[in-house]
Amino acid sequence: MLQSRVGRGAALARLAMRIGGRYVARSPRLLFASVERRSELRHDLALRTADDVAEELGSMKGALMKLGQMASYIDEDMPEAFRTTMARLQYKAPPMSPELATLVIVEELGDAPERVFARWDPLPFAAASIGQVHRAITRDGRAVAVKVQYPGIARSITSDLRNAALLRRLAAAAFPGLDARALIDELGERLQEEVDYLLEADNQELFAGYYAGHPVIHVPNVVRELSTPRVLTSELLAGSRFDEMQRWDQRERDLAAETIYRFVIRSLYRLHAFNGDPHPGNYLFHGRGRVSFLDFGLTKRFTTEDLAPLIDGVRFMVVERDGEAFRRAMERAGFLRAGAPVATETVVDRFGHFYGTVLQDAPMTITPAYASTIVRRFFDARSPLAPYSDVPRAYAILQRINLGLYAVLGSLNATANWRRIAEEIWPFRNGPPSTPIGEAEARWERQRA
Amino acid sequence: MLEPMARVFERSVPERPADGGLFGPHSLVWRVHRDRSFPLAGMRSLMVQALHPLAMAGVAEHSDWRRDPFGRLAATSGYVLTVTYGDTAAAHAAASRVRAVHTHVRGIDAVTGLAYSAEDPALLLWVHAGMVDSIVTIVQRYGRRLDARDADRYVAEMVLFAEMVGVPARHVPASVAALREYLESVDLRQATPAARDAIAVVLDPPGLDDDVRELWRDLGQVAVGSLPGWARSMYGFADPPPEMMEREPVRQLIGALDLAFESLPGVLEARQRIELRMRA
Repeated sequence: MLQSRVGRGAALARLAMRIGGRYVARSPRLLFASVERRSELRHDLALRTADDVAEELGSMKGALMKLGQMASYIDEDMPEAFRTTMARLQYKAPPMSPELATLVIVEELGDAPERVFARWDPLPFAAASIGQVHRAITRDGRAVAVKVQYPGIARSITSDLRNAALLRRLAAAAFPGLDARALIDELGERLQEEVDYLLEADNQELFAGYYAGHPVIHVPNVVRELSTPRVLTSELLAGSRFDEMQRWDQRERDLAAETIYRFVIRSLYRLHAFNGDPHPGNYLFHGRGRVSFLDFGLTKRFTTEDLAPLIDGVRFMVVERDGEAFRRAMERAGFLRAGAPVATETVVDRFGHFYGTVLQDAPMTITPAYASTIVRRFFDARSPLAPYSDVPRAYAILQRINLGLYAVLGSLNATANWRRIAEEIWPFRNGPPSTPIGEAEARWERQRA
Repeated sequence: MLEPMARVFERSVPERPADGGLFGPHSLVWRVHRDRSFPLAGMRSLMVQALHPLAMAGVAEHSDWRRDPFGRLAATSGYVLTVTYGDTAAAHAAASRVRAVHTHVRGIDAVTGLAYSAEDPALLLWVHAGMVDSIVTIVQRYGRRLDARDADRYVAEMVLFAEMVGVPARHVPASVAALREYLESVDLRQATPAARDAIAVVLDPPGLDDDVRELWRDLGQVAVGSLPGWARSMYGFADPPPEMMEREPVRQLIGALDLAFESLPGVLEARQRIELRMRA
């Protein structure tokens, strides 16, 4: 997917970036947060009918916004465009009117929300991708967050995806540097996953089950009997949002960063599943490093074979420091074309960026500047490796995670001995606990065994 | 290409209007003119309007449309938007500017040898009818729901639009049927070289990026396919394949273009202003 970016600058490309920016701006994913957020939703512009939904999100709009969002993770020019767009727009997708949301609940759960739940808040408190989130209390007294999908959106997305010819042209026009077919395939998978909340429920349960009892990582439980393809009911959580946590002292921010880092590494190497959207809106913070992880609409599961090249990469690059072996591993994985006329030390130098946090066994601060350097080098089309490297689609999601993770850790200015933490979790190392959180995690692991 | 349209759109929808304008937020005119299929309706309008040799001659000989086709299009669309969503004073001011320009547009058409004047109510009516018929046709096919009764109400409300530029109301068709009957009753219809020339530019405007051009061409084909049979045969255009005319793919095409448009500064905000006033 990483190819030269000649031809960039076409009008539609610039527009598509703005589109992507707007999508992110209007879709802060699940923000299980304070009631104040409610005032940010434009209830005065609420969508009142399925026709309104079709107008707002149908006819390629939803698909293209998603495409823009996806490309943002893999396109060098996007992040800056995103920030400016978000600053300019301050825009959120209009929520559904209470009547329209009720209609969906009736269709999905068989009765009006006031009867399905003991208490139902008719005004959503957060926007979600292709839906919105309501607070409710179940009849057995549990506080829950109910994600309700826009009616008709699934059908319209399916129809958009069927128009592959137009989608391919749009993708090629908007992102000339990227492989349009791969992008569309990925888009199709992502959207099909997103429209079926039961898939998300499965993923969320996988994570919730694995992390049950974990000292600092929490994943809200799914309420199965109140979940359907268009309604996802989970445990309601309270906590601080990312921007609030940003104002906490550095010690707290370091702990939060450590937990996020542990979550990403552990999910990949131990659970073999990845929540692929390390977006600041997908966390809730509870202090002392305790973090809740929300929104599993973008999850990828890895097989042992998928993981092998990643494990080899770490082993040869970081632990054994064997450049030739590393290069062969990258070639086997399809990241690097075999026989590329590039010196092995160049390969090591370039791929080394991925391992920047774990190369040294020492505390390291991830600054915003460091994070953006990583992102830039990651997409550097002028890299001597660019003509010979390509990231297979199975790993595209890892790119997102890497970039998102660096962005999050960078904005926290977080310091830790990342290498020691990773060593604890890498299955081929099983290093000793290196921090208090590590100690607690080790106890948790012994108990669950 | 979309930028001038966006600037015009933002300016034409006032933030603090003195009143509800000529039609008011609950009119059909307000509802119909914010439809996202409007660019397509605009293309079709031009194709119909150009088939009157004298109307075409006025444009060909008195405007710089060729040098800046999108600027010209933006000016026209700004006029329609201001008369629709502007307050009464803004609407009247826009109309008197247009009438003032029209006083200078006169001459002899080379093809028919006839004298023309842009103040001629007959020409103004033709241009009006071409636009209103195109809007009704395109919105009904590709826009939000507009049933036959509302379409008639819309055409009737639009009589005022024609009056604003100097057509006596009694001459202006006030229903969809009357509108189409009128269009087919005009004898002086033909595709002059100037018309063919202009429509060739509409279908493939210069200065489009390659990537947008393909989308634009497809949209042009849909506009061609939506023309009345007589108009299509005058130009000698072939019928586009029927699958190209289906509602869903055309809406997807429009949606893609509209998203690009809506992403430009000020557009979404202007749309929200319209929506909020319509709900109030």
